[in-house]
Amino acid sequence: MPDKTAGQKKAPSDTQIRRQDILYIKGDRDVEVSKKSVTLNDILTMECSDRQILNSIKKMRLLQIKKGGQQRYVVSVLKIISLIHERYPDVIVQNLGESDIIITYEEQKQSGKFLHIAKATFVAVVTFFGAAFSIMAFNNDVDVTRLFGQIYELVTGQETNGFTVLEISYSIGITIGILVFFNHFGKKRFTVDPTPMEVQMRLYENDIQTTLIEDSARKGEEIDVDSNGMGGTDTSGSDRT
Amino acid sequence: MWIVTAWAEQILLAVIGLSGGVAVAAGLFAFIVELGVVADFADRTHTAEHIMFYEDCVALGGILGNLVYVFRISLPLGTPLLAVIGLFSGIFAGCWAMALAEILNVFPVFMRRIKIVRYVSVFVVSMALGKGLGALLFFGQRW
Repeated sequence: MPDKTAGQKKAPSDTQIRRQDILYIKGDRDVEVSKKSVTLNDILTMECSDRQILNSIKKMRLLQIKKGGQQRYVVSVLKIISLIHERYPDVIVQNLGESDIIITYEEQKQSGKFLHIAKATFVAVVTFFGAAFSIMAFNNDVDVTRLFGQIYELVTGQETNGFTVLEISYSIGITIGILVFFNHFGKKRFTVDPTPMEVQMRLYENDIQTTLIEDSARKGEEIDVDSNGMGGTDTSGSDRT
Repeated sequence: MWIVTAWAEQILLAVIGLSGGVAVAAGLFAFIVELGVVADFADRTHTAEHIMFYEDCVALGGILGNLVYVFRISLPLGTPLLAVIGLFSGIFAGCWAMALAEILNVFPVFMRRIKIVRYVSVFVVSMALGKGLGALLFFGQRW
């Protein structure tokens, strides 16, 4: 809606002055690259009515990574805009994405497959035994066995033999509860919602990204318009104590 | 008449057991997941694409572990496999304990109070050693 009104207001002046191009850019908060020469196209998606400008801006180089291994940079979108303005001062840049972008450079590993499977297996084994241990520890902690004996005696008046309908239904209940909570078993999802762990994973990633951005801003390592890679703009420490 | 009451009793027990199981499962597994233990593992090992598989492992572990406990199923595994189970359960419990401390903001609050900025890593290592020693003492003394 606001776009439309703005367009209408501008319309008469368009005929008088030169038509200005608006470049829309949108970037994710966390981008992984595997090339050492990072162009704007690698980290942003963009749209502009002028194809020529768009293509040339896409090829503009933002970063040249010198060192190997894993590198991490935090780039302010202002820096990207100033880079674009250096070459095209008249282009109006509209940022629709994040204001700080984390660029992680990682060399493509060839022999990672085996290690990857080993890691996944390790996590699987830990989570399996961990979950088994947790439920047993919980049952032990609240003394489910004795509690079931008490309930059994209360209801039937007889002493439990430790293997009654109560234990069986409790185990079925645990199974249902877990599967309903996790919302899937194997590849089969019960509803279209993401599972709790997928949600948790995203939350965790978000926290990590926020920390990285704030950390590098506070240390003055963020690549921003007035930092020039020198470090030490002390505006960063003042926003939070 | 006697049969009817016996059946009613059994049904009541089944209802209690079933609802108890569902409630416990929801509570305990929410506690595991929301603390982000498994998400942490997946992130640390860069295997986030297997998160669904990890969920299956947690679900399966919970279901089978409960069966083993409630029905006292004997697992003749021998000492080496017992050691493996102990090790992995220990890793999980350790991460869980730390995740709990993390979610409760124990560290930021504590460090701000006593104004520690450096040597946080020493603090972490000593805490890990303390936990390990504490567990050893607990079991060694047969408390």
